[in-house]
Amino acid sequence: MNLKDTGYKIQEAGYKNSVSCIVHHASCIIIFFLIFSLFTAVCEAKIYIDINSPAIKKLPIAIPEFTGRDGKVISEIIKNDLDFTGLFFCIDKDAYIESSSQAFNPKNWSVIGAEAVIKGTVSGEQNITAIVSLYDVTGSGEVFKREYKAGRASIKQFAHTIANDIYKHITGENGIFKTKIAFVAEDEGKKGLYIMDWDGTGIKRLGIRGNFVLRPHWSEDGTKLVYSSERNRQWGIYLLDFTKMTEKKIFASTGLNMSGNFFPNGDEVIFSSSKDETYGLYRLKISGSSLTRITSARWIEVSPAVSPDGKLIAFVSDKGGTPQIYIMNKEGRDARRLTFEGSYNTSPSWAPDGKRIVFVGRHAGRHQIFTIAVDGSELTRLTDKGNNEDPSLSPDGRFIIFSSDRDGKTGIYIMRANGEAQKRIIPAWLRAFGPKWSPN
Amino acid sequence: MRRFFVLMLALGFIFAGCAKKTVTAPEKQETVQKETAPKAETEQPMKTEEASKAAPKKVETMPVKEEPINVKTSMFGNILFAFDQYNIREDAKPTLKDVADWMMKNKDAKMTLEGHADDRGTNEYNLALGEKRAKSARDYLVSSGVSKTRLEMVSYGEEKPLCTEQTEECWQKNRRVQFTSTGKELK
Repeated sequence: MNLKDTGYKIQEAGYKNSVSCIVHHASCIIIFFLIFSLFTAVCEAKIYIDINSPAIKKLPIAIPEFTGRDGKVISEIIKNDLDFTGLFFCIDKDAYIESSSQAFNPKNWSVIGAEAVIKGTVSGEQNITAIVSLYDVTGSGEVFKREYKAGRASIKQFAHTIANDIYKHITGENGIFKTKIAFVAEDEGKKGLYIMDWDGTGIKRLGIRGNFVLRPHWSEDGTKLVYSSERNRQWGIYLLDFTKMTEKKIFASTGLNMSGNFFPNGDEVIFSSSKDETYGLYRLKISGSSLTRITSARWIEVSPAVSPDGKLIAFVSDKGGTPQIYIMNKEGRDARRLTFEGSYNTSPSWAPDGKRIVFVGRHAGRHQIFTIAVDGSELTRLTDKGNNEDPSLSPDGRFIIFSSDRDGKTGIYIMRANGEAQKRIIPAWLRAFGPKWSPN
Repeated sequence: MRRFFVLMLALGFIFAGCAKKTVTAPEKQETVQKETAPKAETEQPMKTEEASKAAPKKVETMPVKEEPINVKTSMFGNILFAFDQYNIREDAKPTLKDVADWMMKNKDAKMTLEGHADDRGTNEYNLALGEKRAKSARDYLVSSGVSKTRLEMVSYGEEKPLCTEQTEECWQKNRRVQFTSTGKELK
C-alpha cells in the first residue's frame, strides 16, 4: 500500500461553525452517495473463502486498472483494502495479459494463476459512475455486476463501498472498509480529537482540545463519541454528537474523571472517578443525567470497558498490589481477576464477539499488546517492538488498531488480529495515540 | 483562548490585506503553521469563515498570556515514589514536615500538590497513579494538622517529565509530587 500517494491532507473541520462544515462532517458518518443495483446477482452468491476455517489459503486475485479518469484511484483503493485483509493474494499487474476494457477470457487469467478477477469502467466528471464486475476464473465467469454512482467528493468512500461489496460476495461477511478511527493527537500545543478512515487517509481535526484528552469511545450506532478532557483544571466527560456536530459536557467534578465506553443502548456510559476521594466506577445515564456508583475502592480502579452485550465490565484494579484486569457484572458484583501473567496489565478492550479481550501488558520492561479469552486462557502476545498501547479491535474482529513508539514519535498502527502485517498508518510528524475503531 | 488568539491573528492578516511578511508571528504560531502546512488549501476558507463570524470591531494582536494563578515557585523539593507505588517513603517525610510547618505558619496560603508518573505506563493508569501520589502527600499533611481545604491535588500523569532519558535515575526523578504554593504568603 503506497501511503505516500494519499498526501495525508489534514482538513481543519472547525467546530459548529457553519453548515458546510456540518455537512462535511456528516459525510464521514452518513454515506451520501447512492448505490444502484442494476443487476441482481448474476448467479447465486458463492463463498470463495471460508474465512473461519483454521487454514486459509489466500485467494489469488487480479485487479486490472479500471478504465476512465478515476479508474486508477478507485481500483487501487479496492486492491489495498482487499490486500490488507490477508485473505487475498493480489497478483502483480505486470503479469496481466487482459485489461479492464477487453472482454473477459478465463484463459488469460488462469495462466497467471488468478482465480478471481475484478474489472471496472469508470465515467463522469463531477458525478461518477462505475460499473464493476467480479469474475470467477475457474467456473461460472461473471458472478457479480453492479453499477455505482457518487459525487466526486466522496470518491474514496465510493471505492471502499465497492470493496465492501466484493468482500461480502467472496467471504460472506461484512467488510470494514468504510469504518473510521477516532484518535487523539497533538493539536496546537494541546491534545485534540481527530478522525480518519481506517487506512489512515482523510485525517480530520475536530477542533476539540484540552490540556488532556483521553481516548474516545464510539456509540454503537457510530453517531457519538464519549471522552474525557481536562480543561481549566477540571476533568469533564464530554459527548460529541456527529449528527448535530455539537459537544456537550455530561459530567464534571473535582478529581479525576476518565470515561470508558457506552453501554449498547447508547444512553449510558461507564467511567472511573475519584470525585469522592476513593476511586469508583460509575454508570451515567445521559438522558436525565442519573449517576450510579457501582464500585468503591481505596486502591486504583480505572479503564472500565463494557462488553458488547452490555452484561460485563472489564476494568483495571491494583487491589492485588499491581495493576491487573478484572471482569465483573454490570452491577459491579462478582469481580474476578482475568490476568495473572506479569506485573502490569491495563487498557482492556473487548472483541466484538465478547469472547476475547485485547489489552496492554508489560513484557521485558516494555508495553506490548496481548489478547486473552474471557476465561483467562489463550494468552497471546501480538507485538514485540517498542512500546505499544491503546489496542482496539475492528467491528469484524479481524484487525487491531493501536499506538506505538517503535519508530520514534508515538503514532497509530494497524495489524491483523493475529499480529500479522503491522504497519503505521499516520504520518511520522503527527504524535498520535488513543485510537478507537468505529462500529460501522 | 489560544484558539481565539489564532483567530485574531488570522483576522490581523486579513485586515492587513495579507500584504507582505511584515508581521512577525510569535514562535509558537510558526510551529503551528509549519506542522499544518500540507492542509493549507482546505484550512484557509475555514479560518476566514470562523474569523468573520467572531469578528470583533477592533483587532489588535497581542501575545496571549495564560491566566495568572499567582504561583510562587516551590520552595520545597519534590518527594519521590517507588515504581508503580504511591505510598509515602521514609525519605519523603522530612520534606513533608517542612511543608506542614510552613503551612501552619502561613495560615492564608494554599498549596497545590502535583502528582507525576514516569513514562513507563499507560496514560489512564499513570494519571491515576499521579493522583494517588498527590493524595498520599495530601493525607500526610492533613494528618500533620493542615486543613484539607487548603490543599489542592492535581495529576499530570506522564505528561510533564523533568527529564526524558530512559534510565532508572531519570524515571525516579519523574515519579514525584511537586509542591506549589498559591495565594498570599506571610512575611
